[in-house]
Amino acid sequence: MRALTWHGEQDVRVEDVPRPQIVNPTDAIIEVTATAICGSDLHLYHGRVPSMQEGDVLGHEPMGEVIEVGDEVETLEVGDRVVVPFTISCGSCWFCENDLYSLCDNSNPNAEIAREVMGHSPAGLFGYSHMLGGYAGGQAEYLRVPYADVGPIKIESDLSDEEVLFLSDIFPTGYMAAENADIEPADTVAVWGCGPVGQFAIQSAQMMGADRVIAIDRVPERLEMAREHGDAVPIDYSEEDVYHRLMELTANRGPDSCIDAVGTDAHGTGLVDATDRMKRSVKLEDDRPYVLREAIRCCRKGGTLSVPGVYVGRMDNFPFGPLMNKALTVKTGQTHVQRYLGPLLERIEEGEIDPSFVVTHEASLEDGPDLYRKFNDKEDDCIKVVLRP
Amino acid sequence: MATRSQDTTRARVGEGQGREESGDGGVLGPQAKRAALAGVGLALLVRGVRRRSLRGIGTALAGGWLLTRAIRSGNGKREARGGAGRRGSSAGSAAVSRTISVGKSADELYEAWRDPETFARVMSHVADVTPSANDRHHWTVHTPYGRAVSWETRIVEDDPGQIVRWATPGDAVVSHEGAVRFREAAGGRGTEMTLTVSFDPPGGALGDAVLKRLGMAPEMLVGQALARFKSLVESGEIPTLEGNPSARGEGDLL
Ligand SMILES: [Zn+2]
Ligand SMILES: [Zn+2]
Repeated sequence: MRALTWHGEQDVRVEDVPRPQIVNPTDAIIEVTATAICGSDLHLYHGRVPSMQEGDVLGHEPMGEVIEVGDEVETLEVGDRVVVPFTISCGSCWFCENDLYSLCDNSNPNAEIAREVMGHSPAGLFGYSHMLGGYAGGQAEYLRVPYADVGPIKIESDLSDEEVLFLSDIFPTGYMAAENADIEPADTVAVWGCGPVGQFAIQSAQMMGADRVIAIDRVPERLEMAREHGDAVPIDYSEEDVYHRLMELTANRGPDSCIDAVGTDAHGTGLVDATDRMKRSVKLEDDRPYVLREAIRCCRKGGTLSVPGVYVGRMDNFPFGPLMNKALTVKTGQTHVQRYLGPLLERIEEGEIDPSFVVTHEASLEDGPDLYRKFNDKEDDCIKVVLRP
Repeated sequence: MATRSQDTTRARVGEGQGREESGDGGVLGPQAKRAALAGVGLALLVRGVRRRSLRGIGTALAGGWLLTRAIRSGNGKREARGGAGRRGSSAGSAAVSRTISVGKSADELYEAWRDPETFARVMSHVADVTPSANDRHHWTVHTPYGRAVSWETRIVEDDPGQIVRWATPGDAVVSHEGAVRFREAAGGRGTEMTLTVSFDPPGGALGDAVLKRLGMAPEMLVGQALARFKSLVESGEIPTLEGNPSARGEGDLL
């Protein structure tokens, strides 16, 4: 089959790879009809994520048609149309039973490696490094889905692929980020990063009754999208000082909740950012915490910092003192996607939100490498890419 | 940490007989035993490296560990042992121990552990294990040149819902003993299960330096065995990358 594969920094190829097979009795194989490139795929693209190997199949935002099921699959049948969450979860361990699906105890075959590095292993993910499972991803013609009764959600209405595809990651991720922000009715919520996850965080914060949402980015199209679809107040950090602008907007209280939807590849300004870049280039630091530092500085005392952005390792100059003295609450984690699939599909079916607003580019799998580059360079107003294998 | 304060108990010796299948049979002297042990180590090392998988890395590290132990024992060095999760169980041996929580009752876990098919699947990253009569297990590790090293263990303690312990006889090629203990966890969180395993080179001692350098390996094997068992009893299967597609081909590759 054809698949997008990782070969190192800024080297994504489209190649022939073996077709996946049913291995375990609860596996299903899906024929992928639509699959997206995610902002977190760019962390892989930049070689930031450890334990990637040349030839790994990328992608963790797929949907498609079930073409084969294992002997013990009960809820899916051949022909079903499904969206597949990026988190692989067994459904029966303590974490899954407590709705903490991205912390599943059983789905990572390489759990011992993750344990060595992090102390404990989170769930396996599709197409996101060997430490996090090593599972082949969904930017391919076919995908093996383990624990098929636990992950995929059936789409029985006639909604288009673009309307439901983002249930696989970015819609639930933005939603959980807003939920983690503990929003109260009169709250101001600031969102750093207006990529797709930021856009869904903004809209979810509005759904949860935020008084005002402030969107921070430097790409004009993204800020425009946040204003138009998310009714957000835009701040272009390349033109304005974020701290001063936020203090101005909140009478110096600071936003009640701050959401970092950027993660490890944050762009900063000035000398500190230059130092981070230098350290990272010689592997003294894994993550560039520019947004985190700024969010801690800006957040209201006793406020909440919600971090859906992906971080991979260690960072320096983390302002733990300010975090402690301002009594901030930090909530983070990979998304417990399975927890949100049903409720969010319902919101889409009821017309409360149409997630397809983020899509700017559609292409074939063969064009994948070119679109990785375009998306990375923010060329051609590229915000979200959907590929059709 | 409470679990680690439990002593690794020296198993009583059974009556089985270890042997090297392609060797000349019979009881082996210390020299031959050391060679056989090195063979097991080398086999694991080569198998691990050739598989180029993370599981393979664990196997390779374990292989290196055994190999180094064999070489060390040949030099007759005896050094202090130590390190978290390891306890010397007697002269010339070290045990590794790990505990995890499993969401099943102690009785269910005991039953599953005593099921020969389950046991074989759980240990398949270490060796091929087949049951034989009278609570014995036959363990085989294949060496790179078609040779196989095998040994037999016997269950020497068996208390349903509490403990299962097995050991090789004293004159086995590879001296190996293991025990699994079950204890009810607080707050309805299932059962805390501790697996303790040791592989001893006959007449050898484990150097502290070796433990420090490669010591993760045996712990990793124990951790993997526990994780595989937990996955199997909780979710009905063991997570796997078998047949996993990549541009490197198919299967459990890194
Ligand atoms: Zn994603
Ligand atoms: Zn689970």
